[in-house]
Amino acid sequence: MKAFTIAGTNLRRWLRDRSNVFWAFIFPILLILVLGSAFGGSSDPRLGIHNEGDGPLAADLVVLLEEQPGMQVIQFESREDLVATVERGELEAGLLIPVDYDATLRQGAMTSVELVARSAEEAQAISSNVQSALTQQSVVLRAAFFVESEEVGSFAEGLETAETASMNVADVTVVVSSAGEPVGFFQLGRFDASAQQQMLLFVFLTSLTASAALIQTRRLGVARRMMSTPTPVRTILVGEGMGRFAVALLQGLFIMVGTLVFFNVNWGDPVGAAAILIVFSLVGSGAAMLMGSLFENDQQAAGLGVLLGMGLAALGGCMVPLIIFEFFAPTLFQVAHITPHAWGLEAFDVLVIENGTLVDTLPFLAILLGFAGVFYLLAIWRLRRVLTR
Amino acid sequence: MTIRANVLECRDLKKSFGDNEAVKGVGFRIAEGETYGLLGPNGAGKTTTISMVTGLLERDDGEVTVDGQPLTTASVDAKRAIGLVPQDLAIYPDLTAKENLTFFGRLYDMPSGDLKARVAEVLEIIGLTDRADDRTEEFSGGMKRRLNIGLGLLHKPRLLLLDEPTVGVDPQSRNAILESVELLSGEGMAVLYTTHYMEEAERLCDRVGIIDLGEIKAEGTRRELVQMVGQHDRIRLQATGPCEAGVEALAALAVVKEAGVRDGGIEMLVDDADQSLAQILGKVSGAGVTVTSVDVDEPNLESVFLHLTGRALRD
Repeated sequence: MKAFTIAGTNLRRWLRDRSNVFWAFIFPILLILVLGSAFGGSSDPRLGIHNEGDGPLAADLVVLLEEQPGMQVIQFESREDLVATVERGELEAGLLIPVDYDATLRQGAMTSVELVARSAEEAQAISSNVQSALTQQSVVLRAAFFVESEEVGSFAEGLETAETASMNVADVTVVVSSAGEPVGFFQLGRFDASAQQQMLLFVFLTSLTASAALIQTRRLGVARRMMSTPTPVRTILVGEGMGRFAVALLQGLFIMVGTLVFFNVNWGDPVGAAAILIVFSLVGSGAAMLMGSLFENDQQAAGLGVLLGMGLAALGGCMVPLIIFEFFAPTLFQVAHITPHAWGLEAFDVLVIENGTLVDTLPFLAILLGFAGVFYLLAIWRLRRVLTR
Repeated sequence: MTIRANVLECRDLKKSFGDNEAVKGVGFRIAEGETYGLLGPNGAGKTTTISMVTGLLERDDGEVTVDGQPLTTASVDAKRAIGLVPQDLAIYPDLTAKENLTFFGRLYDMPSGDLKARVAEVLEIIGLTDRADDRTEEFSGGMKRRLNIGLGLLHKPRLLLLDEPTVGVDPQSRNAILESVELLSGEGMAVLYTTHYMEEAERLCDRVGIIDLGEIKAEGTRRELVQMVGQHDRIRLQATGPCEAGVEALAALAVVKEAGVRDGGIEMLVDDADQSLAQILGKVSGAGVTVTSVDVDEPNLESVFLHLTGRALRD
């Protein structure tokens, strides 16, 4: 019970510092948003449409485009807005449907739509969808012209009949399968990879910087005062450890739930993801306890904590995906596994890419528990020494 | 005569840090309602001794018994009887006064209902009721010191240990702290008070242990210490009339160790000025001397310390 009192007080003190709230909760979410938007993996490309035409054929084309799989369609009121949005990189491409689209097609003449993109590469994925929609519409138009030319009915009647008929024709779908091992990173959603990386980075980083609070507790003499109360040393140490653990867990949970709600991040099996978070929080809090036991100066510890937190995260694949290391620097990939981050990321890969469950992550969790155990044992040994000798 | 039970007994406490023998066999006892002072300069071993007495520091040798229970760093029950007021301000600056008191109250296993009432009571005692919900980082040095003491009193300990509680405190707060200690001692609490301020030891302590270089050089009441080192009270009489005759008359009194005429008056060394002054005045009056004023200088603990260690208390 006293351990909970100590842990609760630690958590309360940490939350009371508003800068902690920003750096631990708001900043990681912002960073995930920025990194996911800039470097994120696959997600549905966005096509903006400005329809200048007012006829049913132009409207039908918009509907056909909206029905295209794997693409989001956003309509714009003006050409200028659409082009500006593409220029800012907020859309992969923009489509301009001319004012005479219907009239030209009705005359049987050739017309064109304009696809605007920042680069040919960015337009590529969308262009095939646009082409597909145009092809679908042209098939129906040809049938309507045929009806009119054979004097079976008017163009409008032919169009309606062809559209109805086309709905009854089953689509032919192309099934894509991977040859060889799946390349995980590219199968992740836009924010998935950066969310996992930033969650592990920040949980560990915040834990290390929170070690300053433990040093303050020692330096202020509060730890010694606690020892003068009828509270065993082990209870004090457990309470301090639980305080650091609560900070790490709270932050990790916030990032997981926040990214799930706001960015639809796939964390895989919830039980497995929760287990990874809990065990990694133990690792972070253990490292914090060790830092807190080794240093006498809280500012020194906080500074070194930032360096260590960022350095280990970079090495462990939280800045450059581990798969890049694996392909281009196999030695670095091996070295990355001296950090807990690499094991945490691999555990998430098992859940997210391989659709694994808690059981599949157990080997990784065991290794992470090993890290936590070593950190805690060293910290407890050291703290007992500095507090009682 | 009332025999009071010993609340603290410590024997032959020893502690070394590497080659440095910080405490070399210190021992003393404190009875309930007694204030015992450990008087010595910085580095004398006071804080190391108090750390061993509170079970904060593993001792190399010796024994500590609090309220009849042996105490070590691993003790739990014996620590319930102890209230510590450390030299450093051991409070959380980012918690309020009430939160600090509540936190430590819980560590003393105080039930929630009692704790709330006791926190309010202690805030009243230390004069911080109106600042109860302010963070302590906003407090003045004196207010922090008062809270530091309040934390030691919270669970009504049998033994209160104050380690130089007035260091860096303004005179007003210092006086308030000393008055609190006098009050607590009067209520039956045993108090161990370490200080390097001679005046505080003289004002508060029933008995004083003079500590230097890790050893208790002498121990007793102020009077006992003064007598132990052969110091005498000095009496100066401003007088008119036959002073030489007065000096001759004083030679007949055993309590007067030395007397002479100085600056138109009589100056003498005596064993106990309080006890012998009436007798002395009677003798000089009998010799025809008219006394116009009396000055008494009692030897203080500073001079005792100087005599015992060969150096001043603040060296």
